[in-house]
Amino acid sequence: MTAITPTTLSATSLSPRTRAVTEFVLDNLVWFILATVLTVFSLTIPQFFQIGIFSNIIEQSAVLGVMSIGLSLLIIAGHLDLSVESVAALSAMVVAMLFANSGAGLKYVLTPEWLVFPVSLAIALAVGAVIGATNAFFVVRLKMNAFIVTLASFIWVRGLVQKLPDGRSAQGLPDALRFLAIERYNVLYIPLIAWIAILCFVVFAFILKRTPFGRHLTLIGGNKIASFRAGIATDRIITVSFILAGAIAGLAGWLLAIRTSGATANLGTGMLFQAFAAVVIGGVSLQGGVGRLSGVFAGVLLLSSIHTAINLMSLPASYTQIILGLLVLAAVLLDTLKLSIRQRLT
Amino acid sequence: MTEAGQPLLELKDITRRFGAIEALRGVSFSVRRGEVVALLGDNGAGKSTLVKIIAGGLEPSSGRMIFDGVERTFASPAAAKAAGIETVYQDLSLCTNVDVVANFFMGRELTKNVLGIRVLDEKAMEDICAKAIAAAGTRIPSLHVNVEHLSGGQRQAIELNRFVHFGGKLVLLDEPFAALGVEQTRRGLDMIKRVAAQGIGVIVITHVMAQAFQVADRIVVIRQGVVAGDIAGDKTTPEEVIRMITGDAQMGRQASA
Ligand SMILES: Nc1ncnc2c1ncn2[C@@H]1O[C@H](COP(=O)(O)OP(=O)(O)OP(=O)(O)O)[C@@H](O)[C@H]1O
Ligand SMILES: [Mg+2]
Repeated sequence: MTAITPTTLSATSLSPRTRAVTEFVLDNLVWFILATVLTVFSLTIPQFFQIGIFSNIIEQSAVLGVMSIGLSLLIIAGHLDLSVESVAALSAMVVAMLFANSGAGLKYVLTPEWLVFPVSLAIALAVGAVIGATNAFFVVRLKMNAFIVTLASFIWVRGLVQKLPDGRSAQGLPDALRFLAIERYNVLYIPLIAWIAILCFVVFAFILKRTPFGRHLTLIGGNKIASFRAGIATDRIITVSFILAGAIAGLAGWLLAIRTSGATANLGTGMLFQAFAAVVIGGVSLQGGVGRLSGVFAGVLLLSSIHTAINLMSLPASYTQIILGLLVLAAVLLDTLKLSIRQRLT
Repeated sequence: MTEAGQPLLELKDITRRFGAIEALRGVSFSVRRGEVVALLGDNGAGKSTLVKIIAGGLEPSSGRMIFDGVERTFASPAAAKAAGIETVYQDLSLCTNVDVVANFFMGRELTKNVLGIRVLDEKAMEDICAKAIAAAGTRIPSLHVNVEHLSGGQRQAIELNRFVHFGGKLVLLDEPFAALGVEQTRRGLDMIKRVAAQGIGVIVITHVMAQAFQVADRIVVIRQGVVAGDIAGDKTTPEEVIRMITGDAQMGRQASA
C-alpha cells in the first residue's frame, strides 16, 4: 500500500511472486503431501484408484476429523484436551443406551420418529459440553494444569462409559439416525456423516480465521500475558474453548455411534493418539498459537489414506502403528524445516 | 483545557508487597492533562510495579487512585483500557505468532457484519495500520509478516504507534525506547510531545537522563519504593536528579527549598 510496500524491503532478493508461491506451498504443505501420497498409492497399489476407495477414505476420516477440530482449537489456544476420545465414547454410549434396541439399549422411541435425530444430537453435544465445562473449571478457575486435568477426565469418563451399561454394549440404532451412514444416501459418492465433518471443518476454519473469537484464541495461544494486557477476556475465551472442544467431541461420538450403529465399552479407544497425530501432521504447533484447520483435515485424510493402503495390501495392522509414529516424527521435522525456510523469506 | 483543574491521575500512598519484598512503600504523586511526567529510579526501585498497578495488571496492597475525578481500582487491564489508560510495557506485549495488523488491533479488532455474524474487517484494519505506521515513519517490510520475524526496534515501534493511534486519556510508557535507534528515539520523543499536546497525560519511564529532560514537564524520582523527588523539569539539573536517584542528597532541592 503506502510506504510499506515491498519496495521498502531491506534484505530480500526474492521476487514478491516467488515469495508468494513459496508461502502458499508452505502454508498448504500437507495438502501437497496428501496429493503425492495418493498419486503414489494409485500408481503402485492395484485397485487403489477407485471412487469407492476414495469415498471410503473420506468416510473413515469423518469421526477422527471432527474430534481433531476440538483438539486443534484448544492446542492453538495454548492448552490441551486429552479427554476428547473418552468424551466422544461417553456421548456415543449415552445416545446408544437411550435409543438402541438391543443389549443395554433402552429403546426409547420418540413420536414422530425423526425427532430422535435432533434429540440425540442435542444430548450428545450436551454431554460433551458438560465435561468440557468441568475441564474448564479446573483449568481456568482452579488454575490446574490442563494436561493433568484432561488426563484425569480421559480416565474417569472412560470409566463411566464402561460402568453405565455394566460393560455390555448397546446396538441397533433407529433408521432415523442410521441413514447418515448408509451408502444409499451418499451425496457425490460421499456419505452424509463425512459431509457433516466437512461442514464442521468449514465452519470452524471460518470461526478461527475470520471472527474476533478465533483471532483472540490465536493471540492467547501466542502470548497469553500480552492478550490479557490488551484487554482480551482470556479466561472467558479459554473456558469457551474447552466447552466447544467437549461439545465437538460429543458430536464426534454421535457420528461414531451412528457409524457403528451403537456403542461398546471400548468404543473409540486409540483415537486420541490418532487425533494428536493428525493435528501435528496438519501443522498445528503444540506450543500454541499456530495452526490451520485445513491442514488438520489434510492430516486426517492422510492418515486414513495410509490406513486404507495398508488394508488393501493386506499388511498386518501393526504396520499402521509404525507408519503413524514415523509420520508424526516426520511432521515435526518438517515443521522445523518450514520455519527455517520462512526465516529466509523475510 | 482543564489544565488548572483537578489532576487527571492522583496516586495516594500506594503500597505493594510481594511476600516479604516491599516494592512500593507509599507512593503519592499526580499527573495533569497534557502533562508529561518522567518517572526515574534505579533498577528495582518499583517503577514497573507502579505502572502495572495503574494499568490494572496488579492490585495495590493499599492506597488510593483517583482517575479522571473518580476513585478507581482497575480489576484488569481491560478495565483500565476502557477507562482510557494505554500502556506500553517494559517486556514487550506483542503476539509474535501473528502479523503486524493483528498486533496493532489486538483486543479491539474492527469487525463488519456479514449475514448477522461479526467478522473481522481485515481490509479496514490493514488500511488504518498502514497509515499509522507510515505516519510514524516506521519501516516494516510487510504488514503481513509475523512479528517473530521483526527486529526489537520494529516491535517497539508497533507498540508506540498503537498508543498514538488509540489515544485515550493517559498513556503509560515503561522504557519505550530501550530497543530503539537514535532516529526512532527522536521520533518517539516527538510522538510523546504530540500526544501530550492533545491533552493526554503521559508517564514515561526511562533510564536516560537526556530523554527525561527533553520531554518531561515534571520529573518524579522513585527510590526504594518511595517518591524521592518530584520537581519541574526546568527547575532541576541532571546532576541533582542523579543525586535523588542514588540517594546522596536525601530529598533533592525540594527539601532545601
Ligand atoms: N511479581 C513479582 N514478584 C516478586 N517480586 C517482584 C515482582 N515484581 C517485582 N518484584 C520486585 O519488586 C521490586 C520492584 O520491581 P520493579 O520491576 O517495579 O522495578 P523497576 O523500577 O521497574 O526496575 P527496572 O528499572 O529494572 O525495570 C524489585 O525488587 C522486584 O524484584
Ligand atoms: Mg521496570
